[in-house]
Amino acid sequence: MTIKTPHSGGRPGPAHVTQLDRRAFLSTGAAGLGAAALGLPTRARAAGRKQISFATASFFGSETFGDLVDSFNESQDRVMVDYIELPPPSSSTEVYQGLVQQLARGNGTPDVFSQDVIWIAGFAAAGWALPLDEFVDAEMTSKYFEGTLSACKWDGKLTALPWFMDTGMMYYRKDLLDQYGEAVPSTWAEMARIGKAAMEAGDTEFGFLWQGKQAEVLVCDAVEAIASNGGAILADDGRSARIGESAAVEAIQFLYDTINEMKISPSDVLSWDEEPSRQPFTAGKSMFLRNWSYVWPIAQDPSVSEIVGKVGAGPLPHFDGGKSASTLGGYQLGLNANTKERDAAWEFMSWMSAPEQQKRIALNFGLGPSRPALFDDAELNEKQPFMATLRPVFTGATPRPVTPEYAKVTLALQSGISKALVNGEVEKEMTALSGQLDKIVG
Amino acid sequence: MTRTHTARAELSARRRPAMPRWVWPWLLLLPTFLAIGAVAFWPILEGLRLSLTNTSLITRQSDFVGLENYTGLLSDARFWNAWGHTVWFTFASTLLETLIGLGMALVLYERFACRGLVRAAMLVPWAMPTVVTSKMFGWLFDGQNGVVNWLLMNLGIIDAKINWYGNPDTALTTLIIADVWKTAPFMALLLLTGLQTIPKSLTEAARMDGARGWTVFWSIRLPLLMPTLLIAGLFRALDAFRVFDLVYVLTGGGPADSTETLSTLAYKELFSTLEFGYGSTVSTAMFITEAILAGILCLWLVRTIRRVS
Repeated sequence: MTIKTPHSGGRPGPAHVTQLDRRAFLSTGAAGLGAAALGLPTRARAAGRKQISFATASFFGSETFGDLVDSFNESQDRVMVDYIELPPPSSSTEVYQGLVQQLARGNGTPDVFSQDVIWIAGFAAAGWALPLDEFVDAEMTSKYFEGTLSACKWDGKLTALPWFMDTGMMYYRKDLLDQYGEAVPSTWAEMARIGKAAMEAGDTEFGFLWQGKQAEVLVCDAVEAIASNGGAILADDGRSARIGESAAVEAIQFLYDTINEMKISPSDVLSWDEEPSRQPFTAGKSMFLRNWSYVWPIAQDPSVSEIVGKVGAGPLPHFDGGKSASTLGGYQLGLNANTKERDAAWEFMSWMSAPEQQKRIALNFGLGPSRPALFDDAELNEKQPFMATLRPVFTGATPRPVTPEYAKVTLALQSGISKALVNGEVEKEMTALSGQLDKIVG
Repeated sequence: MTRTHTARAELSARRRPAMPRWVWPWLLLLPTFLAIGAVAFWPILEGLRLSLTNTSLITRQSDFVGLENYTGLLSDARFWNAWGHTVWFTFASTLLETLIGLGMALVLYERFACRGLVRAAMLVPWAMPTVVTSKMFGWLFDGQNGVVNWLLMNLGIIDAKINWYGNPDTALTTLIIADVWKTAPFMALLLLTGLQTIPKSLTEAARMDGARGWTVFWSIRLPLLMPTLLIAGLFRALDAFRVFDLVYVLTGGGPADSTETLSTLAYKELFSTLEFGYGSTVSTAMFITEAILAGILCLWLVRTIRRVS
């Protein structure tokens, strides 16, 4: 076995150690492997352990993912994980570029990485993510939410391990619903009727707020509307478009109508992403809001919210005959196909995704677990009571189109749907969009 | 000490004729050539090379495809859409900034109380980072709570709130207004220095001959200011052509692609889809358009300078 490493020269021992310390920061995988294979001393704290690296977008809570990695390193003496911190998820384009550049090098670094659900197919198709089927069995996968699992699959193979998730959901004014004697609406039509009534009664300025800015979030809102009408953007195999079908056209037409026909949404939603739409809602100006789970703690904070204790959250409405759908977000774990330490990497990954760690992430970061069983956990429900609300929402989690060409698909969707919402020629724009998508994925 | 110095100087003076005379200037210019080559020419050539390939980080291809990307570009509606917006943005913002900047420069040239303070204060918008300006204009022109809508409603000019960024008819105009606010002071500064180079004796002589303010402006100041005006316009136009941050922060190219510019399109191709080949084609097309623009303005400039001197 010949392994080329920068350390294979005949330098004396101590020089290797310092050299490696510096190198390990840049290319942990290769350097660690080289040293291990040659039986050279690696870092003192990593003595005798397999060295791997873990890259993830940095989330913040009462601790960081670096703390979790430290816990793993302390919990056993077989594997030593180096933590590579990428930018926060708000700069997801930069996280994506960073990961692609590292994975494309094919040198096995990082051994384990976390990825936004929309990148999974692309990484798998490029051959960068190792299929995990040899490690998992049906019993293990049955412990995760179904929607998350299907987003983790490419070409029938599981190429990512569910970690934590977030989905779109419906926020409503509980106090006003009680006042009108109405139940939480389960269909879009009911939602529109109640929203309109709240506006006419002068209780709120708007009925329903959502996000129509030509950006990724528009695709999320559109996926929810379309899937709740039994439609889809792409066919199941990801090779042809379904957005020209009547189910999708009706759904986009509904979004257009909220502004122009029912007038329950201001035309400003066309330039709003998450925060601009959240602000009027927590200021008490709207009956309903579609947004992510981050809104909940803000809505309950008296220093920024006028509606503390008056808010409820739950699954989004659906069309008659459809099922509630919520766009799946969140980061899932991937195993680098070029890793030299498969088993060590898998040991770390499965530890990260285990119930104990998912619970810790839910408690300390407020990120939703991908294991339904955790929602029955007494401690979690006591400390994060909102989590209980998420279970029915997560059950309806719907992936965005699963295709390796997602980056192109989403740009086409953002442009095409934005056009339809502006000019109202929904059918024409969706047909044009469908043709474009066919060209991209076909 | 002094002795060794002179000794060394003599030594090198004696040695110099050994090297051909023409080598020296080139040797001294070499660092500059290397620096410019590394940061300007190499990236341009590399961009050109990439634009002739199908390089993509995702498909991991990198094959020479000739002019395929360019023929694709010419039939790409998104490209022409962005091209049109960019050219319009450049034209409208440069024209407005030049006119407003000229007005500001003429005012600041006159003597009045606190002139120094006003001159300094005028530069504040230019000194602000564009991202901050963008966020600020986002709030000013906010459709629901924006102060612009509030003012216009109270003045009775409009009777319903205008959705500035959510409407394709107004979105680009709003971006132009933000850009004009930010860079008109820069134009004013350049033009003010231009005004200060015009000999006072000329305007004084004209006034002595009975010329009024307008005549002095049209017949003396404007013709002599023309070279500065054109150079400033050239700077602005080239800068406005690559507008990115305003669009990226405020609209992301929407709604309905109505504010997509060449820079944001190139960014999306290069960094969102990681299609380095096609993305480079877009930026090369941008480079070519900008070179033509600069060429026209430079010709005009040269002719004007000849006429003035």
